[in-house]
Amino acid sequence: MIEAINAGEIDRFYELVQRYQQALFNFGLRICGQAADAEDMVQDTFLNVFKYLKTFRFETQFKNWLYRIAMSACIKRRRRSRFAPERELSLDEFLPSDEQIAVDTPAWAREPLDRVLDEELARRIEDAILALPEAYRPVLVLRDLEGFSTEETAQILGLTPGNVKVRLHRARLFVREQLKEYFSHDPHRSA
Amino acid sequence: MTPTDPPEHDPAHCRQMFAHLSEYLDRELDEAACRQIERHLEHCDACRACCATLARTVALCREMPAHAVPEAMSARLREAIEKLRSGDRTVSGARPD
Ligand SMILES: [Zn+2]
Repeated sequence: MIEAINAGEIDRFYELVQRYQQALFNFGLRICGQAADAEDMVQDTFLNVFKYLKTFRFETQFKNWLYRIAMSACIKRRRRSRFAPERELSLDEFLPSDEQIAVDTPAWAREPLDRVLDEELARRIEDAILALPEAYRPVLVLRDLEGFSTEETAQILGLTPGNVKVRLHRARLFVREQLKEYFSHDPHRSA
Repeated sequence: MTPTDPPEHDPAHCRQMFAHLSEYLDRELDEAACRQIERHLEHCDACRACCATLARTVALCREMPAHAVPEAMSARLREAIEKLRSGDRTVSGARPD
């Protein structure tokens, strides 16, 4: 398809847009938090893809290349985040404490996924992701929402795989804390 | 089975196991490391509960519903691409080489 586009078949480019625009828009939403920013990011990304498609090297996956462009479009458009202060997440702040020891696995981790994940929880998870410091957010979004591997995420973000693993673990622990809090405040849910 | 094995109840050991729970869930550890974690989980209620809720957190993220693309987005994008093709470099997203 990419060869066809480079050979001048412009309609094939719109097929490419159709194929990836929803995933990219959602990626933008999760990174920027605002629909308008996400939309601008998608536009910037595809314009850059259109301009630089001839330089695309076929040894990389197209999707990885696409997300690398999207990530730099996000960074360019980044506003000072209203959600997340820049800070390091340390492992120690998430270490299990003694008071939890007697607690069984809570209902939200036991019940069928589709019964747990409703609109309200989805919103809560989106908020938790947006509250992640920026060094951690793209790692979790690429790994756990977009389904990229550790290696691919490292490539897209220009990090080492080891660094991706460390940040991912802390990001997950952070989101998990928010979910724990959410379920502990809602008697219907924690029952 | 060594439930009284001292290292299992050493906080430093616990912390070390806890640090690798995501890799464990992602099957990124080798056999030996996996078994070490599993052995720890058998004896450490706190890490076991944490592992279960962490696994659920990941599963929930994976199942997050996607938002629909705004209706005007495709049309706006097509317009920008056509402008770019016709040589107008003032379109947002274009940058001089
Ligand atoms: Zn432990």
